[in-house]
Amino acid sequence: MGRPLRAALRRHEQELVLALAAAALCTVGVAPFASLLVREGTAWLNASTPLVSSGALSLLLRSLVLSALVTLLALALGMPLGVLVGRTDVRGLWPASLLHAFPAFLPPFLLALGWFHLFGVSGLLGSEATSRALFSDVGVVFVLALAFTPIVTCLVALGIQGVDPGLEEAARVVAKPSRVVTRILIPAAAPAWILAAIVIFTLSFSELGVPMFLRVDTFPAAVFSRLGGVDYAPGEALALVLPLVPFALLLLAAERRFVGTRSYAVFGLRSRRQDRLGLGRWRPAASAALWLAALLSVAPIAALAWRALSGGGLAEAGRWMGRAPWNSLSSSAVAATAIVGIGLVVGHATARRLRGAAALDSAAVLAFVAPAAVLGIGLISLWNRPALQWVYGSTGILVVGYVARYAVIGVRTIGSLIAQTPLHVEEAAAAAGAGFWRRLTRILLPLHARGVGFAWLLALVFCLRDLELAVLYYPPGGEPLTVRLFTLEANGPESVVAALAVVQVTMTAAVLGAGGFLLRRRAT
Amino acid sequence: MSTALALEGVTLTYRGQTVLDAVDLRVASGEVLALLGPSASGKTSVLRVALGFAVPRAGTVRLGERIVSRDGRLLVAPEDRGLAVVFQDLALWPHLTVEGNLGFGLAARGVPARERAERIAAMLGRVGLAGTERRFPGELSGGQRQRVAIARALVMEPRAVLLDEPLANVDVDLRRELLELLRELFRENGTTVIHVTHDLREAVAVAHRIAVIEAGRIVQQGSLGDLRRAPATPFVRALIEDLEDRASRVDCAERESGRRS
Repeated sequence: MGRPLRAALRRHEQELVLALAAAALCTVGVAPFASLLVREGTAWLNASTPLVSSGALSLLLRSLVLSALVTLLALALGMPLGVLVGRTDVRGLWPASLLHAFPAFLPPFLLALGWFHLFGVSGLLGSEATSRALFSDVGVVFVLALAFTPIVTCLVALGIQGVDPGLEEAARVVAKPSRVVTRILIPAAAPAWILAAIVIFTLSFSELGVPMFLRVDTFPAAVFSRLGGVDYAPGEALALVLPLVPFALLLLAAERRFVGTRSYAVFGLRSRRQDRLGLGRWRPAASAALWLAALLSVAPIAALAWRALSGGGLAEAGRWMGRAPWNSLSSSAVAATAIVGIGLVVGHATARRLRGAAALDSAAVLAFVAPAAVLGIGLISLWNRPALQWVYGSTGILVVGYVARYAVIGVRTIGSLIAQTPLHVEEAAAAAGAGFWRRLTRILLPLHARGVGFAWLLALVFCLRDLELAVLYYPPGGEPLTVRLFTLEANGPESVVAALAVVQVTMTAAVLGAGGFLLRRRAT
Repeated sequence: MSTALALEGVTLTYRGQTVLDAVDLRVASGEVLALLGPSASGKTSVLRVALGFAVPRAGTVRLGERIVSRDGRLLVAPEDRGLAVVFQDLALWPHLTVEGNLGFGLAARGVPARERAERIAAMLGRVGLAGTERRFPGELSGGQRQRVAIARALVMEPRAVLLDEPLANVDVDLRRELLELLRELFRENGTTVIHVTHDLREAVAVAHRIAVIEAGRIVQQGSLGDLRRAPATPFVRALIEDLEDRASRVDCAERESGRRS
């Protein structure tokens, strides 16, 4: 390579690395939407009648209402819990918080299965009445709200811990703690709970497993049934998902308007204050509320374990699950690594407000807030071609989908770390002769090793819990464990399905435990 | 004497506001230039333009004979300019040891490990930090951290060192000690320096020449005598008066203490 070319490459190293990351992000996260609109737009115009005639419109409205109810209930439960966890001296804080938070890392479908073993007709606490309630809209809202409440709890707790102590102290001089919490802390932590609301609404709307299992018709289920069920009609599936594109854009606009880079303050691993508000005589009641939430979180998991043990399902599990756990782990680990790689470069660009970074950040957010059916159909539209079967017909397509949907985790988490690093730290390295790649890998990466590790773990766990995207296009023999569970639930032995659910729980717990152990804070 | 660093007609805008307005500044090889100015006058922007972290909308930046930025174009990346900087917050890399902080830039420029170790040891000895190689910045005192930052800049043997108010947050005794150290190091090595400060005494202590910047324009350049003889603006006059006022108070205090003893 000639010297002038080498010098030019070095001068534009940052732009080149960013362009590569942008190309990767756009290929997995933007191209599916473009393909959907460009290739299938005409088909949609020709087939728009199914949207009205098949009752899909009323299903769409029903799904929107259910998602809104789930979001409201999760906020109502999670906000007070978040305050308790984030700022009070509630008893047994850590064990109760961990138990409460754990189900957020599991597919909600698995929790619905657990509630079925508790409140179904033949469940531990079940009767005809409880079963009827569970297999209804109320049951869907109950199961999903409890599954997603920990997301609100965690984000609100992090959000109020990030509020400037000065704001709180100024209010404490003139108001009671309860007023300080409701009038100062919660409004100041607005980006945290608005983010939680957007995430929960998005996940609820995309949710496929819970409504299908509880026999409640929803929009994603209608799309899914046209891709592989008795109503097989792929053209109609396309017609159904296209109207969701503006819906996704609306969610993106809400995210940018109310959260955006303010999420950095939520994700930022800044040092937390140690002082906590004394609950006084309310401490026993508040502690009981937190522990009740923790018990509600683990109750369905305990029911699954009971069913797996009592029916001998665990002994059979190995034969039924095949390579599914390995498919889950391997594809999720590769995807998490790619997510962190993209997140490092794009997150850096976003944190440092480089040109084009906001557009890339929006692309990552859009792929997450878009209903999984839209992204899934877009991925099928883009990748299901003879020349691309080496990806589409292998677990590679799982990786592509995971990276597309969860890239935002890497971009935002790593962006928040870098935004809190003084620019001088990078500039000093640049002045010392380090190019962009060297600054990224020798300064920023080691400096934030723990935070980047945390981002990898979070991405891994979100990929492991994914069902609603992977179920649309999983390759033959390459299905992840969540899909295996979902397909087996319809006609497999109950105790074996429960045992596979326990395997999923154990796998997630092991990953989180090992990750937590490796990333534990080291004293320096 | 040849020119080490020059800004010629440099205009820098940020979000529509003019931060530097046709700035002309020249530093000769081996010269120590103090750049003084009130808050938000553009002192740090001059350094950022020189380092390549900001690209001027108009004007030229030269290092020696080489043009490194011109009219909105970055022609030489910051890492290839051969400059070194000491920031006010020092920006020591907390995950690297003292040796790691000093060795980072040398490694980036391909200095062999053996030579690197020798240069680091020599520089640490020179700034009075021998034996701290394996320690992390968090394990050092404030004064030691300042010395590491200075050593990290000088170990690169840069064509110029840019100091962005590195002594702004240190106590009087430590400041005196560090000024003495800087003066010695610059004299020994013949280092070219731009020292940004808002304190005229600090400027006088190390600099051969003083440039004063106000509202993004260089309003006066010269020796302390030149500034004293014909202050160009009320700000320069205030600086001189403050310096003389302090000097006379110190003088009085010394006479007073002498009379008592």
